[in-house]
Amino acid sequence: MGRASAKDSSPSSSSSSSSPSLVDNSKHKNHPRTSLSFASSVCRYSSCNSGGSSSTRAGRTRRGDLNTDLRLGLSIVSPDAQKDNWIGPSVSKQREQRQDWPPIKSLLRTTLAVAGKADTNVHNVHNNDNSDRTRTSLFVKVYMEGVPIGRKLDLLTLHNYDDLISTLAHMFTTSITCPNGDRADHAKSLHVLTYEDREGDWMMVGDVPWEMFMTTVKRLKITRADRC
Amino acid sequence: MAYSFPEEVLEHVFSFIGSDRDRNAVSLVCKSWYEIERWCRRRVFVGNCYAVSPAAVVRRFPDVRSVELKGKPHFADFNLVPEGWGGYVSPWITTLARAYPWLEEIRLKRMVVTDESLELIARSFKNFKVLVLSSCEGFSTDGLAAVAANCRNLRELDLRESEVEDMSGHWLSHFPDSYTSLVSLNISCLGSEVSFSALERLVSRCPDLRSLRLNRTVPLDRLANLLRRAPQLAELGTGVYSAELRSDDFSNLVGALAGCRELRSLSGFWDVVPAYLPAVYPLCSGLTSLNLSYATIQSSELTKLISQCHSLQRLWVLDYIEDSGLEALAACCKDLRELRVFPSEPFNREGNVSLTEQGLVSVSEGCSKLQSVLYFCRQMSNAALLTIARNRPNMTRFRLCIIEPRCPDYITHEPLDTGFGAIVQHCKDLQRLSLSGLLTDRVFEYIGTYAKKLEMLSVAFAGDSDLGLHHVLSGCDSLRKLEIRDCPFGDKALLANAAKLETMRSLWMSSCSVSFGACKLLGQKMPRLNVEVIDERGHPDSRPESCPVEKLYIYRTVAGPRFDMPDFVWTMDEDSALRPS
Repeated sequence: MGRASAKDSSPSSSSSSSSPSLVDNSKHKNHPRTSLSFASSVCRYSSCNSGGSSSTRAGRTRRGDLNTDLRLGLSIVSPDAQKDNWIGPSVSKQREQRQDWPPIKSLLRTTLAVAGKADTNVHNVHNNDNSDRTRTSLFVKVYMEGVPIGRKLDLLTLHNYDDLISTLAHMFTTSITCPNGDRADHAKSLHVLTYEDREGDWMMVGDVPWEMFMTTVKRLKITRADRC
Repeated sequence: MAYSFPEEVLEHVFSFIGSDRDRNAVSLVCKSWYEIERWCRRRVFVGNCYAVSPAAVVRRFPDVRSVELKGKPHFADFNLVPEGWGGYVSPWITTLARAYPWLEEIRLKRMVVTDESLELIARSFKNFKVLVLSSCEGFSTDGLAAVAANCRNLRELDLRESEVEDMSGHWLSHFPDSYTSLVSLNISCLGSEVSFSALERLVSRCPDLRSLRLNRTVPLDRLANLLRRAPQLAELGTGVYSAELRSDDFSNLVGALAGCRELRSLSGFWDVVPAYLPAVYPLCSGLTSLNLSYATIQSSELTKLISQCHSLQRLWVLDYIEDSGLEALAACCKDLRELRVFPSEPFNREGNVSLTEQGLVSVSEGCSKLQSVLYFCRQMSNAALLTIARNRPNMTRFRLCIIEPRCPDYITHEPLDTGFGAIVQHCKDLQRLSLSGLLTDRVFEYIGTYAKKLEMLSVAFAGDSDLGLHHVLSGCDSLRKLEIRDCPFGDKALLANAAKLETMRSLWMSSCSVSFGACKLLGQKMPRLNVEVIDERGHPDSRPESCPVEKLYIYRTVAGPRFDMPDFVWTMDEDSALRPS
């Protein structure tokens, strides 16, 4: 198959597999070191081992995709490999550049990302690590009671629950109960945030660690507090 | 002369005039022609849903049967338009539902469609036949279930590249048992499993079904069963093209495919296993369209398949085809008109396959009817572009994406100005052009000078100064859509050519050098333009007027400012321009 014959393209990918460190596309650069161990425990849900990879994939996420890719960009990628890959004049634009260049529709991006994994997992044709993928976005739909149109949110741009709450509060111009916020704030909030997990159950946001939440969330809903 | 005919006769004559442009010209002849034409207009196309209000359309054309609308800017396809920007179809559907009980067709592109709108469509139109949702979002399979349950005369349901919330695969079973009119079904974008038994029953009872595009979840071992129920199919999108097939399963598939003698178009092929591809070989000689953009297989297998498709007119393929495969294509497919080559690893800078400019040169030499190209590659030269231009002066659409921005001619290390210059100079009928690679203002001078029929131009990471934009706006007489990102184009060129913008459908500029002050001025000067600043950093007033805006979308409109702007979009109308900041 095509990729099997492909030459390894990144000069740094060998170093990335030999000395792994957890840095995912600058979005996780603020993560404390401790998240490393958690990330690797999350990886056990994945059907494949994530090897060092220099190639990255971006694109909007579909549910079908969510079910198959549970690594959620927590793969191990060396900072050098990242630096080599992105295009553009400023570091702050790194992720944005990936999302919108080269100009490829998200459906094809997603399909290619999944196809890459299928190649390694299902057919087991290529055993090289090169065809593994790193996710660079995780879009979920957010609905708010009384608002007919859902909005999409890239969870991989967020670092924790506080980020999530403040982003949503801004997006929907409302105040939302913070899952681990102080009590006084809690009492004032009119809205609470719930999510549908992979089993289809609706849960309160904040009931599990953030990384675990990222592996299971399917969609979010902002509900009036007095209805809960 | 108009007065010598009774209205009925003119109406009948007009009914033979199909193109929108001609109908528009007819309506400008005189008042009586305007009146007659508007009463007998059955199809309306609105290229920008914010350019006119639904009420105005309904007022002018009282008896329309088919409506086509477009919403978001084209760059939304590539994630450049922020989530929540707009493009909501619901005000349109509400108005259409009241005005046109006999509406038969709705085609939408890049619009936000809610389930409520789909339910309204399902309830309101008595003889509804065609629903095409292209790159749309906002609805779920519940809305589709409403359409399936109520539109008894539905012929076409096409969800191409839409993002559908999958509530359940059972929506297909909402088509009633008495329903038999389906001609075309495209569900390739759906993520979840469809109810296979419902699909089988549906296909069995629709004798006119010509086009069926399945989604990835339909297994290969079930395909034969479907095909035996629809041997009349002309277009097929397979589901996943891999399975643990027993040998009798495989021969069953071969038999079923061979039974579809009218198949002209194939797509799908998710996760294709090359060993099963020979099943489609007997069909190859009849195929005119082949979409292999999801088929991640090696050049040799692609080549083996393609070289049997002598009638092929359209090919979409991944760069796994490599130069050698394109050479075979050039030798075998003399009828080819459209070629798209997509990158299998778009974020890999150095390339995983041997696909260069040479592949495209070969095809331009071998395929004399080639007129539409979308080509992703990692190296290009002026010499190659010149050869392509000389080979194919009949080219009308040329989109080249060199994956690394600002990549020069890999042989001479010069800008690619002369190469693209040759394209616009030789291809006199060029309507659409996308530029990439290292480009200076000079390429825009060529474009302004030669590309007189160019209607849509996409530019990224190019040019040196305002002069580049000025050449395009002042020179391209037919330009309707211009989209620009990451170019140093600014206020001067934009303001100097303000009047040109009224002749165009839209202008998109992101990460350029247009200041907020210039946007205000433009909005003030040109009341028939909506000048919308998109800035997710907060209100542009909070920064100096000279500060460049993040994104700018300008379009002509007879409807005034839109009412559904999110809080990161500001329209520069006369008031805002006069307001001190």
